[in-house]
Amino acid sequence: MSQRSYYKRLFLQYCAFALTLCVSLSTGLAEGVYDYLSEEELYGDFEEELTVVRDPLESVNRLTFKFNDFIYMNVVKHVAEGYQKVTPDAVERGASNFFKNLGYPVRLMGNLLQGRMKGGWLETERFVVNTTLGVVGVFPAANRFERLQPLKSEDIGQALGAWGIGEGPYLVLPLLGPSNVRDLFGLVGDRAVNPLKEPYSVIGDSRVRTAYSVTNFVVKSPTLMRTYSQMKDGAVDPYSSMKNGYSQMRRGMIEE
Amino acid sequence: MYSRMNFLSMIASVALFAVLPVQANETAKLATTMEATLDIMYLDAYKDYTSAQRQDAVRAIVEDQYDLEVLIRRAMARNWSLLTADEQMQVRNLIDQLIVKSFVEGMAGKGRPILDCGAVIEVTSKRIEVPVVISFPSGKTFNVLYRLGLLKTGWQIYDIVAENISIVSNYRQQFDDHFRKGNGAQLIEKLEKLLKQEELDVTTIIL
Repeated sequence: MSQRSYYKRLFLQYCAFALTLCVSLSTGLAEGVYDYLSEEELYGDFEEELTVVRDPLESVNRLTFKFNDFIYMNVVKHVAEGYQKVTPDAVERGASNFFKNLGYPVRLMGNLLQGRMKGGWLETERFVVNTTLGVVGVFPAANRFERLQPLKSEDIGQALGAWGIGEGPYLVLPLLGPSNVRDLFGLVGDRAVNPLKEPYSVIGDSRVRTAYSVTNFVVKSPTLMRTYSQMKDGAVDPYSSMKNGYSQMRRGMIEE
Repeated sequence: MYSRMNFLSMIASVALFAVLPVQANETAKLATTMEATLDIMYLDAYKDYTSAQRQDAVRAIVEDQYDLEVLIRRAMARNWSLLTADEQMQVRNLIDQLIVKSFVEGMAGKGRPILDCGAVIEVTSKRIEVPVVISFPSGKTFNVLYRLGLLKTGWQIYDIVAENISIVSNYRQQFDDHFRKGNGAQLIEKLEKLLKQEELDVTTIIL
């Protein structure tokens, strides 16, 4: 092949290439085939992420929701604000850590019932380290060890879900808030395995038991109120928002 | 033979670059945007801002980088078509303000939270996810997943999942429930009422 015909061939090839590129680019842009999300994909998959929650008791639940809202906004909110006002941040953190550490039996049982032996063992290790080095759990000493980082919280309701038991109808429990039939049974189980709570509490004196429960509630109140207010304040329909948020959160926890 | 191979490989590489979305920078873009919004909330330079001014400043930063209409229309879903064009415009603006307001309130704390933006997770060639861990000085941490889709305008946020709760799914449920009995005008009224609550209860309890 002469040099001239070689360059001619090369020139034609580049022309063909440029033409192909132009045609494909213009066609692609016109038809949106460049892997962009189409309108249909973006706005048409309405069923894809819809969280269906069975709520046959809606009218009763809405009434309970209103009652709870009244108590939360008129009692719990003030308890949380008062607690935050009088408690230094370090004390607040310590108290929160202390009560979290005491929730170990529930987390252990939640792991074991799901066959998560490693999770159960790690929770035990964390409990031992936090209780000893962390001075009865006030300091999260286990967090200092790379191997003992906090695990996702497990409870008996999650274990029941992992076994394939359906959540049942959505419920709003007086004072306790959103739940469902499965989680209600889970809650009873959680209390049964927690040696500090009734019905099998090791604390004999009812006044001490009450003091423990009240203190635990007060310590948790800022986080509870913060979560509640955030779900409620940005909501067009707070009841719907709470129902959907709770169901999504629990389903996500069970899937994990 | 060599020139033909050369020619084919050139076509292949150009085609590859044409279809490969640029995703690597999305984590950096998201992190920069979020840090800029936190500057508004925590830097001394903005401490005299009112709540409304702070929200306006944050909205300007967010809208400069992302088109929130995608989120809003996905949340409205089929209900979007029940609104008139004028109502669509109003609802878009009001929800836009509500999302920013919720974001500003969610990020409020006793101290500036630390953001840890993870690497991009490629779901498909046109859908990615960016995980972000938000750690407050109190020790509370929140896991948030930003879902982005590739649109002609670039990568846009199409959902935000905070602690397993999808904002799109959550609002969709609320809008579906609203439109079972209500209409667009009532929705606008509700949204305006929500935005008029100057001091939301959440601002008094901070982590």
